Amino acid sequence: MTYAAEISRSNPTCFLFLVDQSASMGDPIGGEVPQRKADVVADAINRLLTELSVKCAKEEGVRDYFHVAVIGYGHAVGSAFTGTLAGRDLVPLSEVAENPARVEERRKKVPDGAGGLVETASSFPVWLDPVANGGTPMCRALSYAESLVSRWLAEHPGCFPPIVLNLTDGESTDGDPTAAASTIPLQVSTDGSVLLFNLHVSGAGASPTTFPDSDASLPDAYSRTLFGMSSPLPPHMRSYAAQQGFGTSDATRGFVYNADIASVVQFLDIGTRATDLR
Amino acid sequence: MGVFISSLRVPKSGSTPRECEDAVAAFPPADPETWLTDPVSVAISDGASESLLAGEWAALLTDSVVDAVRDDQYLLHDDRHVASALVDAAVQWRRWVGEYVARRVGNGRPIAWYERPKLDRGPHATVLAARFDHHPASLSTSWTAAALGDTCLFHTRGARLLHAFPLESAAAFGNSPGLVNGFSHDHALLAHHVQTASGTADQGDQFFLCTDALAAWFLAETERGGHPGETLCNFTRSGDLAGFETWLGDLRSAGAMGNDDVTVVHVDLG
Repeated sequence: MTYAAEISRSNPTCFLFLVDQSASMGDPIGGEVPQRKADVVADAINRLLTELSVKCAKEEGVRDYFHVAVIGYGHAVGSAFTGTLAGRDLVPLSEVAENPARVEERRKKVPDGAGGLVETASSFPVWLDPVANGGTPMCRALSYAESLVSRWLAEHPGCFPPIVLNLTDGESTDGDPTAAASTIPLQVSTDGSVLLFNLHVSGAGASPTTFPDSDASLPDAYSRTLFGMSSPLPPHMRSYAAQQGFGTSDATRGFVYNADIASVVQFLDIGTRATDLR
Repeated sequence: MGVFISSLRVPKSGSTPRECEDAVAAFPPADPETWLTDPVSVAISDGASESLLAGEWAALLTDSVVDAVRDDQYLLHDDRHVASALVDAAVQWRRWVGEYVARRVGNGRPIAWYERPKLDRGPHATVLAARFDHHPASLSTSWTAAALGDTCLFHTRGARLLHAFPLESAAAFGNSPGLVNGFSHDHALLAHHVQTASGTADQGDQFFLCTDALAAWFLAETERGGHPGETLCNFTRSGDLAGFETWLGDLRSAGAMGNDDVTVVHVDLG
């Protein structure tokens, strides 16, 4: 059976985020509230790192079930962490949680329980700032990810397969990324192939799409390429996606178009889930 | 008429005993050497790994529920009464967690940003409680049990499994069992999810209360035609924790049992 390995401190896995930081990320995405693509992906990464840290938090601190890298690609390819983690590739999650560059206070509106909304403040740790500068060397970034994953697997051959999550507008400037992407799932642990997921941020304006099973409704060649590069969701992840209300089939892929991808953290099993009675 | 009670508790591989998030409470206290002729109350709980303070909640929950079961012979007959006992435990939890937060501040280690969401949400744990009352005139013992989640009770006679509660097959175990939340005050919701069972036992019968990994193995072994109760007796009757740990390690290595905290309470009717 694949994708069944325990994720634990004695058998951790790794999570690699690839972040497009090219000049085109300064453009807005479509939708009712115009946002720069660079802001959207930075927020997405910071939220994902927050979710991952909270998921692995215990009373003595955050447990190192995961090691995490955030690799930016734009004018250069390399670590995109800011603050004390700057310049580092794979970092144990406990260090990530203890070392955000800063913790902002953000205000958001939440239901007040009586049909209205009330504004509340919440902590928003930041490890990555928005950057939009230079070309889009996606092929180099994917090769960089492959080398990091390869090194990890040499040291952790029995781990739950690492996950590479690429956040981009898809406009690669160093060639068709398909070939570079196809080498990533060739990296395997004894538990299965490395997973490559993609979040496409785009100004093309089509409807947001989460975990589709075909590229038929995707708006352009960029999104279809990224869909084609994305790994099929393993069965247990499809099951969790279905529980979250997403339609799934055997062909469902780890691809999201202009939508929230933080739910991917809930696909990861680190033990008995803390679910409320209903 | 009477019983011996013994329990063994082993953390998942890679965790320390302090990190074990299973808990047991018994009244009178578990002791494999002492023959108990008074009514016996037992509770066992499995804290959810994803929760913060799951072990502490499991311990408070078992202590609180055992006190309630000891004081009310009929509590486990009625899911509404069980729900009341769970809500009482949640009231105690709110007080406990307030003191915990104050202690953390006092120790110069206030709650970190990554702890806050789980602390506010409250911990989650399964619970199974049972009570055994002896009837010398009929040479029998009546038992009642209540459960929320996948912590199980098995009643055996010789090599036969007479009763499995609340789950009855190895395939029924999953990764999202029913759980009691430390802040839950929804009496009706808790009562809806509580299951109860009761029966009569003869002298010589055995009861095993097990958290999920061991319970799933127990049922799988029974389905294969094995006699898991006899295997467990080898460790529980002598209190052989080291032997139990070695045996669990072998099962985990062979993939016959998931790597999870394991607790068994053996109620031995001689």
